[in-house]
Amino acid sequence: MATESKKVLYGLYNDEEDLKGAVKAANAAHLDIMDVYTPFPVHGLDPILGLNESRLHYLGFIYGAIGASFGFLTMTWVFTRDWPIVFGGKPYWSVPAFIPITFEMTVLFAAWGMTITFYTICGMWPGVKAKTLDNRITDDKFCLAFDVTSSTDNDVDQLKGFFTQSQAAEVNVKTI
Amino acid sequence: MNLTNTQFVFDSKTKSVLIGGMVLGALCLLLTFIGDDEFHTRFWTNYLHNTVFFTGMAFTSMFFLSAQITAFAGWNSLVKRVWESMSQFMLVGLVLVAVLVIGVWGHFHHLYHWNTPGITDPANPIYDRIIAGKSGFLNASWYTLGTLGFLGVWLFWAYNLRKASVAQDTEETPSFAYYKKQRKWAASFLPLGGFLSTVFIWQSVMSIDPHWYSTMFAWYSMISMWLGGLSMTVMLIIYLKSLGYLEYVTRDHLHDIGKYVFGISVFWTYLWFDQFMLIWYANNGEETIYFRERMDHYPILFWGNLLLNFVTPFLILMRNDTKRKFGTMFFVALIVFFGHWWDYFYMIKPGARIAAHEAKEISEGKVKQRPATSIEKGIPAETMAPTEEHSTDSTGMAAHPAETAEPAAHQEASHEAAPAETHAAPHGATAEAPHEGGAHGEAAHGEGEGHDAEKGYRAGFTLPGFLELGTMIGFLSLFLFFFFNKLSSASLVPWKDPYLDESLHHETGTLISTEIEENHGHDDHH
Repeated sequence: MATESKKVLYGLYNDEEDLKGAVKAANAAHLDIMDVYTPFPVHGLDPILGLNESRLHYLGFIYGAIGASFGFLTMTWVFTRDWPIVFGGKPYWSVPAFIPITFEMTVLFAAWGMTITFYTICGMWPGVKAKTLDNRITDDKFCLAFDVTSSTDNDVDQLKGFFTQSQAAEVNVKTI
Repeated sequence: MNLTNTQFVFDSKTKSVLIGGMVLGALCLLLTFIGDDEFHTRFWTNYLHNTVFFTGMAFTSMFFLSAQITAFAGWNSLVKRVWESMSQFMLVGLVLVAVLVIGVWGHFHHLYHWNTPGITDPANPIYDRIIAGKSGFLNASWYTLGTLGFLGVWLFWAYNLRKASVAQDTEETPSFAYYKKQRKWAASFLPLGGFLSTVFIWQSVMSIDPHWYSTMFAWYSMISMWLGGLSMTVMLIIYLKSLGYLEYVTRDHLHDIGKYVFGISVFWTYLWFDQFMLIWYANNGEETIYFRERMDHYPILFWGNLLLNFVTPFLILMRNDTKRKFGTMFFVALIVFFGHWWDYFYMIKPGARIAAHEAKEISEGKVKQRPATSIEKGIPAETMAPTEEHSTDSTGMAAHPAETAEPAAHQEASHEAAPAETHAAPHGATAEAPHEGGAHGEAAHGEGEGHDAEKGYRAGFTLPGFLELGTMIGFLSLFLFFFFNKLSSASLVPWKDPYLDESLHHETGTLISTEIEENHGHDDHH
């Protein structure tokens, strides 16, 4: 969600195995990786990047539980207190009839809650400008990026040398 | 490829344990038979229950495997031999079902009320017009075809699929002839298994309550078997791993099977609830009585079913790390396995108890001749009163059927003078049904005095007793004996399977913090 612009040095790789090798090499050389971008989820990349398990699903459970309670309690309130109507000779508080709505509310709350949370964390809201390094990272390129906003020329040269060594197909600098 | 321990050896110690289990099962069946009622209801229901459940597990293994092969699934290649071996149990199932079929022809058991001689004959005092109307399907010939015949068809397919798979290990051609053969057997099995299984389950289990029907029943009970088979697979894989086999089956494979156990458990609940809600909502007497009976007299069976088969797997398997732990998965699989065995117990026992009661009444000559109604006089069934009319009159019938339904029916019968002749019979019948405590209120015999006394606790009916558990262990041992025997007759790894490599490198890409730490520790160690 950073608002200031960053100067980014990034290398593009042709294969996800090359990228994984480069990440391992960068870790070994104690380089500070800003991020990686891949066109599809690469298995085994998260642990070597040192990423932790996502906590989004805990929120998903909580949203779902809120949705379930909301659905069930609303139905209960409507049909026992607010506007009791006899349907097909059933009692006012007909639990089986409330289950489908409770279920739908659970799914609705969990899905919307998780989507909104995810977008908020990623800083994605309507009208946001996409900070894309390269269009091909959604197609067939695997990108490894370093933040060089406050790096010296010497540091940048060292990173470029790293990209050459790890056989990056292309190396660019871009301010996003 | 460098895989070790790829040949399962069925050692003599396991054999003796399983033979011991079978002896225990046989002993329990014998004890049940000796201390049973005059129709040996407990014995026969236990026999039917386990036969259908364990044969069904073999069937669903075959069905699941076929679906995977047809869908070009690759992850399962390493577990394939487990399902192939499980599916071969249908051969034993054929023999077990044959006993039931012979029983139907020879009237050795009273599991099926529709099989009572004379029940479809209007001149007979025990004549039952509902069963007579269904007799085109509920008869001994159809029973034979629907259970024994269709099971034979499935076995033929399962046998050939496994044959092609085993032959593939040594004889595979560069053009994958044996793999293509497997695809043909698998793809053609799907419609056969899918459609014929409905008839199998209608005949063997649903017809125990011959007046009742549910269009959801086949789905629901087949899914129940599928979960039995899946949880059995989980337990067997973990057991085989503990013996040092299947090292290359990782927690990623287990994770995927765990997702199936979780997802299908939710699907089972969906079907269970749909069946219940549609019947509860429509409120047709002859349908509702099925659940009234079970909720009033078998509440532990009814609610325990949901607890074992929905709440437990749903809450435990919801997290992704639980599906990757061998201990947790074994525990859940055990509960789900027992839960679906319980589910079949719940489907079979209450209905069979009513059937036995009716058989007793018939044998004691307690059946009163009911005056022939207009329906028997030849007025077509379409002239029967629509049920909506009935349920709108009786407010809250689902909640209090006995109190409200009866006056409503009387009221109608007295109000509508002219059509009363056609209307009163079905109305009175449906309304009396809950009062009598059985779906068989429509049956030709008279008021069932003392029915309520028959509904009390009875071991082996209200809840599974020790004899039921012993019988289950016996059948389980039989199943495992046959399974291990088949498993040891071929390599555990399908060497020439085109998806073997994919399966060996299968990963779900799941990130679990504790596992990362474990793996790091592992790496450091080396």
